[in-house]
Amino acid sequence: MPAILEVDNVTKSFGGVRAVDGASFRLAAPGIYGLIGPNGAGKTTLFDVICGRQSADTGNVRLAEQRIDQLRVHRRARLGLARTFQECRVLEAETCLDNVLFAAQDKHLGSEMMQATSRRTGARRTESEEAARLLDLVNLRHLAAEPAGNLSFGQRRLLEIVSSIIARPRLLLLDEPASGINPTLLNTLHDFLLRIFAERQIVVLIVEHNMEFIMSLASHILVMHQGRVLEQGPPAAIQKSQRVIDAYLG
Amino acid sequence: MAIRAGVARLSIGVMFAVVVYLLPVVLVHSPYVLFALTLTLCYAIPAMALNLLLGYTGLVSLGHMGFAGIGAYVTAVLMKNGIAPFAPAIIAGTIVAGLVGVLVGIPCLRLRSHFFIIVTLAVGLILYLLFNNLDWLTGGAAGLPGIPRPGPINLGFAIIDPRRPLGFYFLAATIFLLVFIVQYALIYSDFGRSLAAIRQDETLAGSRGVDVFGHKLTIFALSAAIAGLGGGLQVEFLRAAAPQSYGFLENINLVLIVIVGGAGSLFGPTLGALLFIALPEMLRVADTYRMVLFGAALLALALFAPRGLWGLAVSGVRKLRGHHSALTHAGHP
Amino acid sequence: MGVTLTAFIEQVANGTMMGAIYVLVALGLVLIFGVMEVLNFAHGVIFAAGGYVCEVFFVHVIGSYPIAVVLTMLTLAIFGVALERAVFRRLRVNMPMQIVASLGLILMAENAAVLIFGPSALQLTVPSVRSLVRIGDLSFTIQHFVVIAVCVVAIAALQIFLQYTRLGTALRATSQNAEAARVIGIDADRIYQLTFATGCALAALGGALIGPLFLIFPQMGDLPLLKGLTAIVLGGMGSIPGAIIGGFAIGIIEAVSTLFIPTDYRDMVVFALLIAILLVRPWGLFGVRVRGDV
Repeated sequence: MPAILEVDNVTKSFGGVRAVDGASFRLAAPGIYGLIGPNGAGKTTLFDVICGRQSADTGNVRLAEQRIDQLRVHRRARLGLARTFQECRVLEAETCLDNVLFAAQDKHLGSEMMQATSRRTGARRTESEEAARLLDLVNLRHLAAEPAGNLSFGQRRLLEIVSSIIARPRLLLLDEPASGINPTLLNTLHDFLLRIFAERQIVVLIVEHNMEFIMSLASHILVMHQGRVLEQGPPAAIQKSQRVIDAYLG
Repeated sequence: MAIRAGVARLSIGVMFAVVVYLLPVVLVHSPYVLFALTLTLCYAIPAMALNLLLGYTGLVSLGHMGFAGIGAYVTAVLMKNGIAPFAPAIIAGTIVAGLVGVLVGIPCLRLRSHFFIIVTLAVGLILYLLFNNLDWLTGGAAGLPGIPRPGPINLGFAIIDPRRPLGFYFLAATIFLLVFIVQYALIYSDFGRSLAAIRQDETLAGSRGVDVFGHKLTIFALSAAIAGLGGGLQVEFLRAAAPQSYGFLENINLVLIVIVGGAGSLFGPTLGALLFIALPEMLRVADTYRMVLFGAALLALALFAPRGLWGLAVSGVRKLRGHHSALTHAGHP
Repeated sequence: MGVTLTAFIEQVANGTMMGAIYVLVALGLVLIFGVMEVLNFAHGVIFAAGGYVCEVFFVHVIGSYPIAVVLTMLTLAIFGVALERAVFRRLRVNMPMQIVASLGLILMAENAAVLIFGPSALQLTVPSVRSLVRIGDLSFTIQHFVVIAVCVVAIAALQIFLQYTRLGTALRATSQNAEAARVIGIDADRIYQLTFATGCALAALGGALIGPLFLIFPQMGDLPLLKGLTAIVLGGMGSIPGAIIGGFAIGIIEAVSTLFIPTDYRDMVVFALLIAILLVRPWGLFGVRVRGDV
C-alpha cells in the first residue's frame, strides 16, 4: 500500500543539540496513530518538520509519495496536510460556521477573487451543508452563528479539528489535542475524535503527552526517544515493552 | 435568506450611488460646498486604499500618500505636457503606483510588524523627498501648476464638462463609486476572507493553505494602485501637484481619516474623509485649532474606540436593536 | 577636485555633535522600547517640547541656561509619567494603536505649539555658549562641545544608574522578563513610569541642547525622531550600546555625505540607510535575531 506519510532519516539540530536524529517511519493504512516519547525525545520538532514550521537538516518527508520537505507551509496544506495547534488556533472574530467555511474554500488567489462569499451558488450551498453537518458531529451546530472567541476552550478545540478536516486532507496532524482540556471532558473529546475518524477515514497522527488518552484512542503507537523512533506497535505491546519503559524512566 | 441579503445589499448600493450623484444638486448651491465634497471624494479614494491594507489585512502603512503622489505626478506630467489625454494618463498613474507598490512590497512585506511600519514610514519620506527635489521631473518644491482638466464627455443624453465644478464632481463621483465597488468586491470575496484570516492569525491562515506573502503582496499592490488613482484625481481637481501634499503630516492625516472613520468597514473611510476634509472646509475652522482637535480625536479613538466612528455607530445601532455585542464584522487588528 | 582633509574633519566634528543629539533621542526610544515594547512615535514632540520649555524657563523664569535645561528635563519627565499612565499603559500590547495614539499626540502638540507661541520659529540665544572656538582652520561654537560633553555625561549616568542602582537593576530585569520581575516583587507599573520619565527626559535634553544652535519650531522633532529610530534599528532594537553607536554613526554618515551629494538629499541618505538595514539585517548590529526574521 502506498504510504500516506513517509519520514525518511530526518535530522534536525538547534545550536549543538540534535533534536531529531535520524527518525524514520511509514504510515500507509488509515488509522489513528499516536506519537509519544519522554520529554526531549524530539516529537515536537519532528512534528514541526512534517508540518513545515521547521526545515529538516537532512532526510526527507513524503506525503502520498510526493516530497514535501522543501515546500512552504501553505503548499503542504494544499497538497492535503492539515494540522491543529497545541495552543488551539481559531479565528476568534468569525463565527464558527465562517471558521469552517474559510477552511473549506479554495485558496488559490485567482479563484478566491472570483468567488463572492454569498451562499447562493450550488457549490456554496453544498459547502455550507457539509460545514453544518460537521459542526453537528461535535455538537457545535447550535453555536454556528456564534463568534469563535465566545466558545470554551474545549469547544474551540473541536472547532479547530472539524475545520481541519472539511477540506478533505489526506493527513491530519493533531498537536496535543488533550492539552488544556478539563479532565472530566477528556472522554467526550475521545469520543468526538473517534466520530471524526469514522467520518474521514484518513491517516491521523497525534502527538500526545497524555498516556491514558492516546493509548485508548490510537490503534498504533510510535515511541520516540533521543531523536529516533525507538519502537512502534499496538498500544498493548507498547505498554508492556521494556525498552519503552526504560526510555521513560531512564 | 441569502437571496434577501443580496437584494438588500444591492438596494443599499444603488441608494448610495444615487445619493452621491444627487448630493450637489440637492444641497445648497454653494460653490464652497461643491468644492469641499469633490475634495472629499478625492481623499476618500486613497483612504479606501489604505483601509484595504490597514483595516482588512492588518498592515499598517505610514507612507501611503507616497503612492498617491506617484499617481499624481505621473498623471500631472502626462497631462501637462500633452502626452496623453485624461483616461490613459490617470490609468498610467494608477499602474505605475501599483508597480512601485510591488517593488516596495516584495522586500518589505516579509518584515515583522513593527519593522514593516517603520519601513513604510521611511519609504513615504523618501518618496516625498524625491518629489521635493527632482526639480527637472516634478518641479521640485514649487510643484507642477497649470494641469489641464479633461475635455467635455458626451454621454448621449447629456454632456459632462469636467472643466466646470459640477462636471468634475460627476467625474470624481463616478471614479469614487467604481473604487467603492472594487473595494466591496474584494472584501466580500473569498480573497477578502483570507485577508481577514491573515489579519487575525497569519500562522493559522498559512496552515490552512493561504499563501500569506502572496496575498499581502497582492493587496499591497492593489492598495498602492488605488491610492495612485486617488492621487491622479486630486491633481486633476486642484489643477496642480505639490510635494507638500505627500509629506509626513499628510500621511498622518490619511491614517487619521481611516482610523477615525472606521478601519475595517466599507463606509468608514468615506465617513472619515467627510469629517476631516469636507467639514473643516465647509466650517472654515482655523487650521491649527482644527488640527489640535483632530489630534485629540485620534488619541481618544485609539484609546477607547479602535473601530472608529463607523464602528461606534454600528455598535450603537446594534445595542438599540437589542442584539448582544458579539460583532462579526472585520475589526481592527 | 577632491575633498580636503579639513572639510572632512569639519564634517566629522559636526556629525559627532549631531550624532550626540541623535544618541539622546535614540536612548530614550530604546529604553522605552526595550522595557515596555512601545514604539513611542511621540518622542519627536517631546524633543520639540524640550526646546520650547527650555526657552520659556531661560527667558522668563531663570537666566541660567544649565538650570533651565535641568528644569526642562524634570518637567518633561513628569509629563512622560502622565503620558504613560493616560495613554501608553492601555496600549501596551497593541502596536498599531500605539502608533495611532502617537500620531494624535503629534498633531495636537505641533499645532498647540503654533497656537501658543505663534507661527514663527523661536530663537534661544544663550550668550555664554555662542562664543567661537578655533581649531586650526575650523571654528565651532562652545555649544558644539557642550552638546557632546553633556551627551557623554548622560550616557555615563545612565550606565551607572542601570548597572549599579537597585532601580536600574529592576529596570533591566523588567526589560528581560516582566513576568519574572513581577514574581520577585518588582512593581512593573512603577518601572514603566520610570522608563517613560527617563526616556522623555533624555529627549527633552536633546531638544534643550539643540535650541541655541538652531531655531525652535513645532516640527523640529520630526527628523530627529526618524533619525533616532534609524539609529536604534541600526544598533539593534533593544540594545543600549547599539543606540549609542547607531546615533553617532548616523550623525557622522549624514554629515560626511554632504561632501559628496547635494545637501538637499542629506536626509534621504539616512532613510535609504534605514530601509537597507531593515531589508538586510533588521535585528541590527547588536540586536537579537528572532525566529521569523529574515
